[in-house]
Amino acid sequence: MEHIIECRHLTHYYGKRLIYKDLSFDVPQGRILGLLGKNGTGKTTTINILNGYLKPYKGECRIFGEAIQKIAPEKRRDIGLLLEGHVQYTFMTIAQIEKFYSAFYPRWRKEAYYELMSLLKVAPGQHIARMSCGQRSQVALGLILAQDPELLILDDFSLGLDPGYRRLFVEYLKEYAVTGKKSVFLTSHIIQDMERLIDDCIIMDYGRIAVQMPVKQLMCKIHAFCYNIPEGYHHAAIDGFFPPSRIHNSIEIYSLLPIEEARRRLTDAAIPFTNLRITQPDNLEDAFIGITGKY
Amino acid sequence: MEKAILYKEWIKTRIYYLLALTVSCGMVAYCIMKMRYVIEIKGVEHLWLVMLERDAVFVDRLTYLPVVIGILFAIVQFVPEMQQKRMKLMLHLPYPHFLNIAIMLLYGIGCLLICFAVHLAGIWLYTRNFLPPELYNRILLTALPWYIAGFIAYLLGAWCVLEPTWKRRVAYIAIAVAITSTCFLSTTPEVYNRMAWLLVIYAILCFFLPMLSVQRFIDGKQD
Repeated sequence: MEHIIECRHLTHYYGKRLIYKDLSFDVPQGRILGLLGKNGTGKTTTINILNGYLKPYKGECRIFGEAIQKIAPEKRRDIGLLLEGHVQYTFMTIAQIEKFYSAFYPRWRKEAYYELMSLLKVAPGQHIARMSCGQRSQVALGLILAQDPELLILDDFSLGLDPGYRRLFVEYLKEYAVTGKKSVFLTSHIIQDMERLIDDCIIMDYGRIAVQMPVKQLMCKIHAFCYNIPEGYHHAAIDGFFPPSRIHNSIEIYSLLPIEEARRRLTDAAIPFTNLRITQPDNLEDAFIGITGKY
Repeated sequence: MEKAILYKEWIKTRIYYLLALTVSCGMVAYCIMKMRYVIEIKGVEHLWLVMLERDAVFVDRLTYLPVVIGILFAIVQFVPEMQQKRMKLMLHLPYPHFLNIAIMLLYGIGCLLICFAVHLAGIWLYTRNFLPPELYNRILLTALPWYIAGFIAYLLGAWCVLEPTWKRRVAYIAIAVAITSTCFLSTTPEVYNRMAWLLVIYAILCFFLPMLSVQRFIDGKQD
């Protein structure tokens, strides 16, 4: 399968602070990949590197086979970008911004933009600056849909949106990506939105990738192991498990290992556990919390 | 695409530009009326005499006007690009980055050129009715470095505004003030006649400084 995005061994620092080390991933054609992570794990940094706004300390990103720092301007016609906070030219009106962008994109689909605008029930002369965050998100999405790119890069698309607008955004985006076999790379804080949308996920922890696999595979493989330990017992990390979360004497620890293998490792670790319960998380958000911890 | 870039710049700056044009033309008209007042009260001979003996040019109030117009134009044009890192939108367009910024700067220079040309044309059209060429040229040549300073201030203003870090921005502002002040070293009329070309070279060199700020933005420099 052809890879639209290829990132290899990305390492980045802000000053002396390591953001991540040796991050490698691909986005195959026609797949939707979500980059999930807590605040400060480097999601926006990755988006900035992907768009060529930031030179990584080490490593390389290629989009459509071209190194991102040297990508030809015409190639950017096939990349749709949504900035964090749905940033757009707010000094323009709905009609002006459509007229501005249409000059840059030969496959411009004016009707796709105005179809989405008709849902907002605002006049074409409405200034974007005077619109709500939700309405602005639809303007930004409408512009991307009109651009008709092969690859969409969306940075925290759900930021500031109420559930209605989030759902509208996700449904339009999913429909567009699936029917047009478009590739999407996106980040979001709201994991429940991602679950409806993404095929593959990368879950970032501070400085590293915690998990990288298709969502369906993740949800099949991940298990939560809950048990009690004696008071005052120091629970060390166990190989093959994510860091445990502890409330008093109760431990909750997640693993992608097969159940029997995981059970064997718990026993080998000589943890004096009692009342072991093994469950599967109900949704991606629970799996995410299990993998990255509750702060 | 070039037309679209100009369209965006016009939408962004039109209110300020028309306001600046109106107010500044009002100030030019005020200077002209001041000359008219002297002529009405004391006669045109007195005006000639004052210009020759006391080095008066009657447009002193315009000294810093082009600089103020230039700086404000840079702020109005480029601050929206830097708010919320909106510059990323410009850099994402399928159009060469530096050509894009060059068109934005040329737009600004074009607007200032029209505004400043209207000022100078107004002064020339009015003063040629009652002053000999030597005297109205004296007024225009005295004002010329002020107007070149307006272009320099605009370009240096763009350089400062587009700089992505505050530390450097403050340093750039200090450098910009120093460079711009070289256009105001003396109040003597026509003192820059022999070195106006040097100021023009300054202005041409300043054109490339905002590109450096954009490159720093692309390199990911931030506070």
